[in-house]
Amino acid sequence: MLPTDLLMFRVKAGLVQPRVLNPTPGNRQLTELLIQTFQSSLGRQRAQLEDELKLLEAGRSDYRVLRGLAHILATDHSEFETGSLTDPASVRSRVFELVQAHPPSRLRRGAVLAQVAATLGQTPEEIDRLLYADLPGEQLLTRFEPPEPEALLTRFNLAQAQGMLYRAYSLIITARRNEPARYKQLLKYTKLFGLMVTVEGDADTGFTLTMDGPTSLFGGTTRYGLALAKFLPALLHVTKWDLTAALKPRRDLAWVDPADEEWTFELTSEDGYVSHYPEPKEHDSALESGFEERFHKLGSPWRLEREVDLVPVPGGVIIPDFRLVHPDGRSVLLEIVGYWRPEYLIKKFELLRRSGRTDVIVAVSERLNLERAGVGVQDFGERVLFFKGVLDPKRVLALAEPLLAETGD
Amino acid sequence: MTAVLRLDRGTLTMREVPEVVRHLFTWDARSQSYRAPGRSYREVSELLRGHLVAYRDEAASFEPLELRFARTITPYPHQQEALTAWKRAGRQGTVVLPTGAGKTLVAQLAMQATPRSTLICVPTLDLLHQWYSGLLSAFPDASVGLLGGGSRDETPILVSTYDSAAIHAEELSGRYALIIFDEAHHLPGDFTRAIAELSVAPYRLGLTATPKRSDGRERDLDTLIGPVVYQRRPDELRGDTLADYREVQLMVRLSDHEQQHYQELIETRNRFLAKAGIRLGSLDGWKAFVMQSGSPEGRRAMLAHREARSLAYGTEGKLRVLEELLASHAHDRTLIFTDDNATVYRVSRDFLIPAITHQTPVKERHALLQRFRSGEYRVLVTSRVLNEGVDVPEASVAIVLSGTATEREHIQRLGRILRRAEGKQAVLYEVVTEGTSEERVSQQRRGQWRPAAAPDVAAEVWEQVNASD
Repeated sequence: MLPTDLLMFRVKAGLVQPRVLNPTPGNRQLTELLIQTFQSSLGRQRAQLEDELKLLEAGRSDYRVLRGLAHILATDHSEFETGSLTDPASVRSRVFELVQAHPPSRLRRGAVLAQVAATLGQTPEEIDRLLYADLPGEQLLTRFEPPEPEALLTRFNLAQAQGMLYRAYSLIITARRNEPARYKQLLKYTKLFGLMVTVEGDADTGFTLTMDGPTSLFGGTTRYGLALAKFLPALLHVTKWDLTAALKPRRDLAWVDPADEEWTFELTSEDGYVSHYPEPKEHDSALESGFEERFHKLGSPWRLEREVDLVPVPGGVIIPDFRLVHPDGRSVLLEIVGYWRPEYLIKKFELLRRSGRTDVIVAVSERLNLERAGVGVQDFGERVLFFKGVLDPKRVLALAEPLLAETGD
Repeated sequence: MTAVLRLDRGTLTMREVPEVVRHLFTWDARSQSYRAPGRSYREVSELLRGHLVAYRDEAASFEPLELRFARTITPYPHQQEALTAWKRAGRQGTVVLPTGAGKTLVAQLAMQATPRSTLICVPTLDLLHQWYSGLLSAFPDASVGLLGGGSRDETPILVSTYDSAAIHAEELSGRYALIIFDEAHHLPGDFTRAIAELSVAPYRLGLTATPKRSDGRERDLDTLIGPVVYQRRPDELRGDTLADYREVQLMVRLSDHEQQHYQELIETRNRFLAKAGIRLGSLDGWKAFVMQSGSPEGRRAMLAHREARSLAYGTEGKLRVLEELLASHAHDRTLIFTDDNATVYRVSRDFLIPAITHQTPVKERHALLQRFRSGEYRVLVTSRVLNEGVDVPEASVAIVLSGTATEREHIQRLGRILRRAEGKQAVLYEVVTEGTSEERVSQQRRGQWRPAAAPDVAAEVWEQVNASD
């Protein structure tokens, strides 16, 4: 991610467009030049590297592009260290100790440095250099892992898009039908970053996910902007969505129209941004992948889809593991519960009750102690299925047929 | 069913809201519950209790503390008055006292009088460590911890930087009954105000020398902490707790070569300003300049402006003056202030004077300050890091080599030496370059605040000082 002053964007009719670097020969050349500059600075002072970068900047109107790229190289691909066996702090304390005998004066400088040098077995010039060798500017570039020029460009583009969200106070994602196993990951990330999600819609018309945080209720706050920015790379793993974010305008910039009340940032899954977060795993348990395998062996005319449906409930969302689609297009949802704690099951059934949906089958492993654990499921009747060991797809389909009839369009 | 008051990431939530507090809550469809900002906790609790509504409080997790005060110090009248005024205001409010007037003791007395889990927010790492060691000696048996500067403790008494407290505002929101905002004018910032908004703390104390902010948001302190409950100016306290001092302004001239270069730079800048129709000298003009410095031309002008400024601030002439001043105060504890880090390190390298900037490692800065206090080091050079409230006892000479025009800085720098030093009069030297913009900056700096019993403000030319001392 980039600091605010390195963000580049245009605003057209309230719509924010972050800067995008395409892999043109010119841009590729620029990234290569920067990567080379870093590489040739290995073992040298950070200040020297910065001076060289300044030289590259000189006369360029797009110097902030260069700085942004350099920022990514310096923070994500480099390591800076003092690079000295003698601790500069101890040199300082030696020098300052010795200098106390007299009022400080530039005239006595040489003599003091020579005196310290003699006790430490070094030259006065070395002492001079060591004095503040631990300052950031004087630290040495000790490691540099060069990225591919194109990877650097995509990283830059993503960082610019993320930066647009720093000032976001709400974010709405319209999700179209998706590939498996992505929504769960998405919700995991929203939880991780302390965000709240409101889900509306259904599988046919598409879903709307509104994201903000607890205090957003009392008025637009940009407090969750950073969390939304960090969340964006996770969203990029989900296919088929459109994003709209409401932003607080940057009033500190001269070219910004002071009359602007709100800006909008829009993005879709087809805009070509690339995530650097690891890909989510397809299956979260062997139970589900086993079921999927057995289902396919069955050769049934039903189609099995994984985690494509969101079931909105007041104050939350359920993502059933499977959707069973009948050849005529109607469908039933299936949730498989492998290992469970009573509180978990109680909550799950409570959520299902609140959703008001009657087309969800819940398969629970081991019925033992269900009653004793205080999990009442009477009102779910046929829609609860208990199994031991493996879940037989035939049993599920047998349950699914009548549910189709009941929920029929 | 008993109503339950819960805490969710800095907000209060209730499934069922009793009628008497309904107006403080908003229905939240996202969570299917009623929600209110953490800040409303006190009002909610008072109303519920006042109307004898039965409820269970799961929001607050602060606790009473056994605080044995190990200080035998007798507070000055103004400290006692400040405490009384704060208590009378329901333990919510801001105390305005000049630097050096013992705000920390007021805070410790407030803690002793309100023995509950306490969070203390400070703006700098220096203050973080100063408060930490101060609290350890005031309350030796208490469990005191740090948040920020590499530490992440979870103690019933926690000293934190504003930044760290704002980052962790959600987690901290229910844990503290009392929050002390040191240098409270930092609080109303966009990011930091969340500390006050999300916290349930029913008791809040703000401390500052001047609540004023350049964006005018000091007004928000009334709701974030509480109104100003007690206020004293430096001249009202001088002779009581503060040492007498005098100000001496020293003018230095740029060398011919420096003067010529300075003129060139200023012309470069002015050409751009004229073309862009910007008039400096007002806040808006300066803002416009900063905003336009994105274009290549504007950037060149801004760079010229900066170089001219550093020429005016860091000129060789000033270092010559510094050399003389240091020689003439060969035994006085002396603090040197400069505007920028580059000059700090130049002075430190050239004169071999210990330096403190925001880049100084925490342990080292702690050690440097301790050695300065103990007298082991007599002279320190620093940029702005020591401006605010850091206790540097008995410094009797301050040399301001350069500075910015804000009122705040000047007062705090003055405050730095406003300490009784064994009957000795403190001196503040301000070294200003003649014929540069710095003259105006200096006037502005003094213009906004004049002590009633004005000390001698002598504008002397450098050579004369040499003769008089």
